[in-house]
This record gives sequence, C-alpha cells and structure tokens, in this order.
Amino acid sequence: MVAAKRKLLRRVPNHLTRISQRVLALSLAFPVFLHFLIFSAVEVNSIDCLSLFTANSDLLRMCGALLLPPMQQSFDLSDSTDWHETPLSLLGPLETSLRCQVCKDFYDNPVITSCSHTFCSLCIRRCLSTEGKCPACRSSDQELKLRRNWAVQELVDNFTTARPIVLDLARKEAARLTRGNDQVEGPAPKKRKAGRVEQEETPVPETSPQRVRTRSQRTKANPREEVIEDSQDEDDITGMWCFTMDQVAGDESNVLAEDGLVACPICLRRMKDEAVFQHLDTCTGEPAPPKAASFGSLQPQPRHLPKSTGNPPERIPAMNYSILKETTLRKKLRELGIPEWGPRVLLQRRHTEWMNLWNANCDSKFPKSKRDLLHELDVWERTQGGNVAAPSPFVSTGTVMRKDFNAAEWSANHDDDFKRLIANARKRNDAIVRSTIPGASAASSGSEDPSLEQPDATSNATRTVPEMQEVPAEVLPVNGSIDSRHTSNPSG
Amino acid sequence: MFASKRLSKMQEHVPPGIAIAKSENLEEWQMDIKVLDDNPLYQNQTYRLKFTFGSKYPIEPPEVQFIECAASSDTPRPIPIHPHIYSNGIICLDLLSSAGWSPVQTVESVCMSIQSMLTANSRNERPPGDSDFVSYNRRRIRDIPFVYEDDNV
Repeated sequence: MVAAKRKLLRRVPNHLTRISQRVLALSLAFPVFLHFLIFSAVEVNSIDCLSLFTANSDLLRMCGALLLPPMQQSFDLSDSTDWHETPLSLLGPLETSLRCQVCKDFYDNPVITSCSHTFCSLCIRRCLSTEGKCPACRSSDQELKLRRNWAVQELVDNFTTARPIVLDLARKEAARLTRGNDQVEGPAPKKRKAGRVEQEETPVPETSPQRVRTRSQRTKANPREEVIEDSQDEDDITGMWCFTMDQVAGDESNVLAEDGLVACPICLRRMKDEAVFQHLDTCTGEPAPPKAASFGSLQPQPRHLPKSTGNPPERIPAMNYSILKETTLRKKLRELGIPEWGPRVLLQRRHTEWMNLWNANCDSKFPKSKRDLLHELDVWERTQGGNVAAPSPFVSTGTVMRKDFNAAEWSANHDDDFKRLIANARKRNDAIVRSTIPGASAASSGSEDPSLEQPDATSNATRTVPEMQEVPAEVLPVNGSIDSRHTSNPSG
Repeated sequence: MFASKRLSKMQEHVPPGIAIAKSENLEEWQMDIKVLDDNPLYQNQTYRLKFTFGSKYPIEPPEVQFIECAASSDTPRPIPIHPHIYSNGIICLDLLSSAGWSPVQTVESVCMSIQSMLTANSRNERPPGDSDFVSYNRRRIRDIPFVYEDDNV
C-alpha cells in the first residue's frame, strides 16, 4: 500500500491527486451517474491532455478545465531543473540520471538492454516494437533480452521519497539566501549544509503555491526525522491527506468486493462499471456469449493469465503478424481479453500495445491488475488507437468535416495562419504570374486548389501542364498538410 | 498519455540562443533560435521553428520546420538560407526523419542540432531544385524521401 501510494505521489501533481480523490469519492457515492467522471479523473491523473483535447462530452471538457490548470501557471511536474535555483543545484544531474531518456520521467520498472542502456520497461518495449533499435545508441536489440534493473528501481524509489523534502529545504535555503543578500550587501556563501536550515522556518518563495502548501504541511512534523526514517511514518506525517486516500482506496475495494458490477442498459449484461461505456459503443442489444462478459474483469479465462494465487504473470510472446490470418488474429485478441474490432492494421497495433503494456507490467515489482492495464489500453485506444475522436489534423482528414465542427473556434484559433497563408499566397501568386504568365493574374487570383486531398495528382497535373490557369501549387505555401487544409477551409 | 510527458519545465532553462515562442498546447510548439557565433549569413537574425507533435511522440519524430513571419510584424522571422533548408521552411535533416529520429531527442536537442547546422554552413544558397520542391510537394514532412547525401552538415 505504501509503495503504491508513493508511486501515485510520484506521478501525479499533488493538487490534481487531491481533486481527483474528491471526484473519485463522489463518483463512488453515485456510481452510475458519475462513473465517467472517474474516467476523466484518471485520465487527468496520467496527465493525459491529448484525450482531453479530443473529448467530446461537455462534462468532460468542464472537468478538464477544472482539473487542468493552464500550462504555465502551476503545472506542478517535477523536473530536474527544479534544483537549478537552489544551493543544491548539483542534484540536477543526479536527478537527470534517474530519469528515462525516452519519457523524461523517473524510471518506471527500469530494464537494461544488451547494450547496457536503461529505460522504463514500457518505453523501451514501445521503441523496440517500432524500430528494433536502442534509442540511445541505435544498436539492434530484442525485447527478449531486456533484463530488470532492480538497483536502479531502488535508487529511483529512494530518491523520489527523499526528493520533496530535500527540495523543500533547498528552496527554503535559496529563499533565505536571497533575503540575506537583500539585507546585507555582498554574496552569501553559495553552499550550505542542508541541515542548518532545518531550525529555521523561513517562508518559501511564491514560485509554486501548490507545492508549498503540501510540503509545509509535512515539514511541520520533524523534518529531520522524515529524511532519515523509512516510509513507514509517512502516514502519520501526511496526516489527513493520506487518511482520505486510504479511505477512498478502502471504500473502493469494499464496493468492488461486494458487487462492483453494473448492468448494461441495453443488453442488461452485468460488467464492471468501467467497462460499460466502452461496451455501449459496441453493444448490439443481444445477449452476447458469456465469454465477452469477462472483458475487464480481474480473473479472465485465458490460460496464460496469472492466477490470483500470485504466480508471476506469464509474458505474451511476440507474434509474426504477417503469417496470421485476420480471423486468427481476431481470435487471439479475443483470447487475450482485449477488443477485437477494427481493421487488421489496428488489430496489430492494439496487440503490440497490449503486449508492451502487459510485458512491461510483468517487469514490475508490484504488477497492476488486468483491469488497470485494460484501462491503459483504453486510453491508448482513445489517443492513438481506433477511438481517436478528434485527432490532430495530421492523423486524420475528417476533422473539419465533422458535424459538430466549430467553425468559429477553428477560424479564431487559426486566424494567424490564415492571414499568413493568404499573404504568402498573394505574394507568390503575383510573383509567379508576373514572371511566367504575364497578364493572367486577374484570372488566377482567388481560386482555390480543389485537389488538396490528392497530393500526387495535383503535383503531376501542375507539373505536366504548368501553363494551365488552374492556380498552380505555388499559391499555397507548402507548410505540411495542416496548413494546406487550413486554406481549404473556407471559414478563414 | 505517453506524449504528454514531454512537457518539461524547459521554459525556465533553455540553452543560449533558443527561446520558446509559443507553447500553449501539447500539439504545436514554436521556438525562436539564433545562431550564436558570427557567421555572417545568419548574424542578428532570429528564426522561428514550428514543432508539431503527433500522438506517438517521442516514439515518432515531431514535424519540424521553419516558419516565416512577415518582415513588417513585431517579430520578423525569415526562413534562413541554407543548402538544406527549402524556402518553404522544410528542413532536410536526417534526425527529423523516421529513420534518423531517436526517442531520446528532445525539443532542445533538435533546436541545438539545427543551430549547429546553420552555424556550420558557409554557402548562401537554397537546396538544388528548391522551387520545384516548394511548388509540388504535398507530402507530409516525414514522408518525403530525402536523400541525406551530405554528412558534413
């Protein structure tokens, strides 16, 4: 429990945790009405801004606005640069070396490659399944050769436990030094033993109010003890904060232990409440085969899944997709208990992602439940998989065609782009017309290139018949597809 | 999920000659870069880079290109002249391609690579075939089959 809590602390900005706890508590009280609030809360926990962008529901958006402060204000992500302004700036490089080079977060289940580089298990698995190369040195490697790096895990655990307290002390000292400098001319000694500061309760600079509040709560208890003692007394020190958390966690497990199942409003099948929404997307109204009901449950049927007796979970082997028929692949996914809809490419990508999530979880000291992993897969589904609602214009071409497309907002957001593009287009058009087709400027100005979605066709056409008055491609500065799409959208 | 972790506190501590111009969301950032030494080609100029992050960043590379701000605006930003930079701002740099990219790269490291690419250049010219490319290219940057023939830059 303590470890899990610490992990949560590590990953989630404190104020977000507290708010989402409240949301969680609320939603436990009104599970049916509010259970998609959990979704959003959990999402925000993983700082999943992308899916917030893509969220459709107004409520979700509201939640996002509530929970997600503007980026520059108090987005309290820990970072190695936190040490820069303190007397302990040398801890910056130390912290950097405890962070994964891919995700820039602290190592989560670190594994070591055969070229002796360390990454989060999930990060390196995703890299290897994409490219088969170590991101640091580009030498080829295989997932099978990854080995856990317990020493690094311990380093990270211990460092992240000590970090908030040490950082707080360092910041106080920095503040004290600045004030000292203001009063007495001349430089104060740059380095001081952190121990000296403990006697003085100086206010911390106002750089990050959220952080300060939580930390000062902690430091009211004897800070020295806190540094030395093990995490056992964390509960006492953080007091109410942790208590509410335990309570919530307890409540949750109680509720789930009693029943935890909710009936689908259409087909009345019972399932975990998290699964309902996803199920609703695909529910046909017919009572489905009993197997599908296990979707999202803790102990599904497939053979290779861990028994609740605590056997280490078995890893999912990689598959050679090219030799599998689509039906076989679909069956595999069904056996694994993950969604099996979508075209073949999506099935492969989903299987890869699930394999990465699953196998990375096998590297964990405290493996998550399959339910958690399924939720992570669901997040993936909504950000990168088949449920991408309103992806960035790079991913899909359908954005501006959606029924609920907000033209006013879009044009406001991209006003600068449009203006710039129009200016560029005019300029270039004039120049080209002047140099190549004298006298044709009137005819060609103002029309739009109709064949934006068929890049090759357009370029071929313009290449072969450059003297045609269909505005040549030069009118549109080629700034990548996003910009060309802007121009094609008349709302600007 | 994964992508969002890239949000670092870079704002406060960027390397010299690099500044964040725009970073309101996690999909597009704009960076201003300057060349630090006295290369006469780029002296006293600031250039603007646009980073566009896909949902698979950092596994897949961001799209990076120079963008132009009109000379009359408050922040005039031309497109630097360089044998590997097309006049529409597209940069021919192998670390930005799917093959050359590595997930350990960051916005900072990309900016610094481009800085040094500019610094090292002494030729005041656009890439061969610039006007054709600018006219006819419709592909996304990462799909363009660049040939990285020049290892010196």
